Amino acid sequence: MLFIQLFINGIQTGALYALIAAGFSLIFGTTRVFHVAHGATFTLAGFVFYELYTVLAWAWPLAALGAAAAAAVFGVLVDRYVYSVIQRHEAAFFTVFVASFGLAIVVQNLIAIGFGRGLVTVPTPLSKSLELLPGLYVAPMAAVAVLCAIVAFGLLQWLLTHTNLGLALRALGENPELVRVYGLTPRRLSQYVFLIGSLLAVPAAILTAATSGLNPAMGHHIMLISIAATIVGGVGSLRGAAVAGLLLGMAENLSLAWIDPQWSEAVTFVVLFLFILFRPGGFFGRAVTS
Amino acid sequence: MLAYLQNIAVLFCVNAMLAVTLNFIMGYAGIFSLAHAIFFGVGAYTAANIAMHFSDSLLLCVAGAVLVSGALSMVLALPALRVRGEYFVAASLGLQVIGVTVFSEWKSATGGLGGLVGIPPPTVFGHALATPGEFLGLAAGGLAAVLLITTALLRGSFGRSLMAIRDSESAAQAAGKWVAAVKTLSVAVSAGLAAVAGAIYAFYMSFVNVEGFMLETSILLMAMVIIGGTGTVFGPIIGAALLMLLPPALTYLPFLPPSELGTVQQIVYGSIMVLLMMFRPGGLVGGRRKRGKA
Repeated sequence: MLFIQLFINGIQTGALYALIAAGFSLIFGTTRVFHVAHGATFTLAGFVFYELYTVLAWAWPLAALGAAAAAAVFGVLVDRYVYSVIQRHEAAFFTVFVASFGLAIVVQNLIAIGFGRGLVTVPTPLSKSLELLPGLYVAPMAAVAVLCAIVAFGLLQWLLTHTNLGLALRALGENPELVRVYGLTPRRLSQYVFLIGSLLAVPAAILTAATSGLNPAMGHHIMLISIAATIVGGVGSLRGAAVAGLLLGMAENLSLAWIDPQWSEAVTFVVLFLFILFRPGGFFGRAVTS
Repeated sequence: MLAYLQNIAVLFCVNAMLAVTLNFIMGYAGIFSLAHAIFFGVGAYTAANIAMHFSDSLLLCVAGAVLVSGALSMVLALPALRVRGEYFVAASLGLQVIGVTVFSEWKSATGGLGGLVGIPPPTVFGHALATPGEFLGLAAGGLAAVLLITTALLRGSFGRSLMAIRDSESAAQAAGKWVAAVKTLSVAVSAGLAAVAGAIYAFYMSFVNVEGFMLETSILLMAMVIIGGTGTVFGPIIGAALLMLLPPALTYLPFLPPSELGTVQQIVYGSIMVLLMMFRPGGLVGGRRKRGKA
C-alpha cells in the first residue's frame, strides 16, 4: 500500500515538475537564456495566488488569472529590461546567468519580507485527502494536477506545431540568424517565449500552494529541478523535459521507500551528474556540449 | 570594538582567500563553479577531524585539508573536461547539492546538522594559537600565501596555458598544450587552496556545521568575484571587502528592523549582481572590458 501511495504522490509531483521544466526548457531551448529566475516566477505566482485567494478571498478563477498575469508580466519584463540589455553588448552566457541568479535572490527576499519566511498554505475544498482504500490517501488535487499537465501540454504542442508563432519559435531555437533573414525579429519572438514559458509555471505554482504549501525559498528547489529535468531530458526537447520532470518527481517519491527523505534531492543530482558526464545530450536532445 | 573589528578582519581574510581561489578557475580557466563552498567545507571538516582525533599541529591539519580537498576536486574536474558553459554550471550545482547532503548526513565525520563542536586551537611549533590577534595574523598570512601562490602560477607558463585554454580550447590543443592536465591541475590548486581557508575558518570558530557551506555561500563567493571583477588580481579581494562590509554597514541604517537585515543584505547584493551584469559586466575593477567567451 505504501508503494501505491508513493506512486500516486510521485505522479502528482511529477506532473507539476514536468510543467515547470517544460517552461524552463522552452526558454532555454529557443533563446539560450539560462533562466534560473524561473524558480522566482514560480514562487511569485504562488504567493500572488495565496494573497488573492486566501487573504483577499477572491474567487479562485480570478485569483488564478491574477497569478498568471503576475508571472507573465515578470517573465516578459525580465527578458525585456534585463536580458536584452545584457545581450546587446555581451553574448557570453555566464553574464546572463549571473543576472538571472541575482534576480532570483532579489525576488526570493522581497517575498520573504512581504510574507515572512515560514510556510504558507492555501486550504481549498479539493486539497483535503480522501481515503480511497484502507491506508491509501489521495487528494482530488492530484487528479487536477495530472489533468492540468495534460491540458497544458496539449495546448503547448498545438501551439508549437499548428500555428505560425509556434513555427517561428521552433525556428528561433534552430537558427536565430535565419529567422532574422526571413523578416522576423528574434527579440519580439523571445518576448513570446518568456510569456509562454512563465505561464507554464503558473498551474504548478497554484497546485503546489494548494497541496504542500509555499515558502519564499522554494524557488531554489524549483530551479534545481528545472535544470535537472531540462538537461536529463535533452536541451531543446520539450517531450524530454516533460518525461524527465515526471521521472524526477516519481524518483523523488518512490525512493522514499528505500532511503531517508534527506537523500532524495541528492539522488536527483547524482542522476543529473552522471547524465552530464556520460550523455550530455540527454534522452532526446542533440548532443550539444558547447 | 577592537574584538569586533578583528572578527570582521579574520572573516574578511577567509572570504577573500575563497574569492581569490574561485577567481583562479573562473577568471583564468573559464570554469564557472557553483560548488566552491563544498571545498571550503571539505577543508574545514578535514582540519577539524585531524585536530580532534590525531594532532593539533597547524601544518599537519592544513596539509591534510589541502590533500583531501585536492583529491576530491577531481570530481569537479571530470565534468570540466567534458562539458562547458551551462552544462558545467549545472554539474557543479549538482555537486553542491550532493555535497551539502553528505555534510549533513555523514554524522560520524561531520557531526550532522549539529556540526563539530570543540575543535582544539592549533599549535605552531608547540605554541597554541588562542588570541584573536594571533588568528588575525594567521588569516592574513594565509591570504598573502594564497595570493602569492596564485599570482606566481598565473605569471608563469602555467597561467598562460590556462588563459589560452579559456580563450580557445582547440587552439591551445593545436599549440601542443596538454589541455586535460592543465585544467585538472587548476581545479586541484583552487580546491586545495580553498581548503586552507576552510581549515583556518574551522580553527577560528572552533565549531563547524553545514550552514557555512551551503549553496548560498557558493553564490556569495561568486558574487564577490563578479562584483570585484573576474580575471583580475585585486577584483576578488575588493569584492570580498565590499560584501563583508555590507552587513555591518546596514546595521547603521536606523530605519531597518534588525530582523530583516539578512534579507535586505541579500536584496542589495542580488541587485548589485543584476545591475553590474547589465552595465559593467567586467566588475568594478575589470571596467567595461569584454570578458573571454564562456
